[in-house]
Amino acid sequence: MTSIANETQSAKKERAPITVKAVLTNKWFLYAVSLTFFFGLWDYVAYKKILGSSLARPLEVVNYMGYMINHRLAGNSLWGHAWASTRRILIGFSIASLIAVPLGLMMALNKYVNAIVKPIFDLMKPMPPIAWISISILWFGIGEPSKVFIIIIGTFVPCLLNAYNGVRLVEPELYDVVRVLGGNRRDEIFQVCFPAAFPAIFAGLQISLSVAWTCVLAAELVSARSGLGYVIIKGMNLGRPAMVLGGMVAIALAALMTSQLVGLLEKVLCPWKREIEGL
Amino acid sequence: MSFAEVKITKEPLMVILPILSIVAFFGIWQSLLSFGVVPSSLLASPLQVLKLFIAKWTQVNPDGALLTTHMWTSIQEAFTGYILALLVGIPLGLAMGWFPIVEGLARPIFELIRPIPPIAWIPLTIFWFGIGIPGKVFIIWIAGIVPCVINSYVGVKMTNPVLIQMARTYGASNWQIFIKICIPSALPMVFGALQIALAYCWTNLVGAELLAADNGLGFMITMGRRLAMPDMVLLGMAMVGLTGAVIGVIIDAVEKRLLAGIRR
Repeated sequence: MTSIANETQSAKKERAPITVKAVLTNKWFLYAVSLTFFFGLWDYVAYKKILGSSLARPLEVVNYMGYMINHRLAGNSLWGHAWASTRRILIGFSIASLIAVPLGLMMALNKYVNAIVKPIFDLMKPMPPIAWISISILWFGIGEPSKVFIIIIGTFVPCLLNAYNGVRLVEPELYDVVRVLGGNRRDEIFQVCFPAAFPAIFAGLQISLSVAWTCVLAAELVSARSGLGYVIIKGMNLGRPAMVLGGMVAIALAALMTSQLVGLLEKVLCPWKREIEGL
Repeated sequence: MSFAEVKITKEPLMVILPILSIVAFFGIWQSLLSFGVVPSSLLASPLQVLKLFIAKWTQVNPDGALLTTHMWTSIQEAFTGYILALLVGIPLGLAMGWFPIVEGLARPIFELIRPIPPIAWIPLTIFWFGIGIPGKVFIIWIAGIVPCVINSYVGVKMTNPVLIQMARTYGASNWQIFIKICIPSALPMVFGALQIALAYCWTNLVGAELLAADNGLGFMITMGRRLAMPDMVLLGMAMVGLTGAVIGVIIDAVEKRLLAGIRR
């Protein structure tokens, strides 16, 4: 073994000098400044009551969340309400994706199915799911089924659309390869179509999840006895900003958690997806 | 002639099937009510909805305003919020994509606010603004700003690095690169955001109006439920869908016009 000339050089770590500019453009420094400013401003506005008594201080919100975890509101602690909302979403979301994804795939693979379903789908598509709340209350009352129905309606559209577009946008060269290798229609569908459309389907699931949260909140705000939407509307009726903000924090956390869960599922089920840099 | 003229003829079945499916849809809907399968307290037939649609042009009762008034209120609210979201969101997203300082300062706050569905802001905005137009504009603004920021940010980040390096080689300043290269190359993404933001805004407008309003299409739907008039609920839903679709088509046309020179 002969030694390499620059071996000693690589061992010495180069350290950038700490200058004002380096500190000012450091990512973590900027993040800290930004968050301090945000919470500082929030606290100041709430403390000085610039918006009247309609804003709670950040610490009050945290305290109130603790209070809600230990005390029951309409028979549920904060966990209970979070679970009530999440359960509705999981039920509606599973039903919708189990129907919409196969339907979307079928529409993309078979032109006759497409010709029958697409016109009706296009008719329904521009209607925001929230607009269905009133009719679902007329049909199902104010219980669980009406909320699940809204979520199904809301999540159906992005699930179907992404499955459909996912298959349609598969690169035609991939089909050629399978055909050249002697594959039949079955191979084309199972070896090319589905794996290639998988990332698009999962993107659709992520979109539907955020739609589902919007839907469940809207439904709970209109009429419910449990759920995080109920917590914030109750907070509004009782004139307790801390309760409203606590509910909003809980919603954000729950929404974040469910989307992480789907992301995790995607990583497990479809490791061949190319990551796109971005937000 | 070396190659034959290719004539694409559509299979007649493919022309008939879509028409058949729409006709069947409305036919089944109408007959469900005509033959009393579904009680008329739960669903109104398409003909009833059409009748109410014609009546609502001139009749104020029972929900207190003409159809045109409701539509005008909704469009006004949606557009104010939408334009404000574009005016704030797009420059912010572009700047976040290019200047590390802006990204460092704005991103944590943006990430804090992003997971909260805009609908969840409704109780807070009622505290702050009451049930008038400003509260709804705020909700729509929150809803529209997220896709604007994300798309502009990604658009700038996806700028071809070769172009940036070339500009640097020719001695362009940081600001010049941002203006002359990053923004034009981000434009298709930014225009993509216009459509997404519009759909978001429109959905959340309906949500805001369902809860706190005395006017607007969402309010009309709520009134229809309170008065147990399914035809009014359905008319409101149809008008929301129709107006949203029309606005979408208009924006699409504008986008094609403005982006005519840019390869997508």
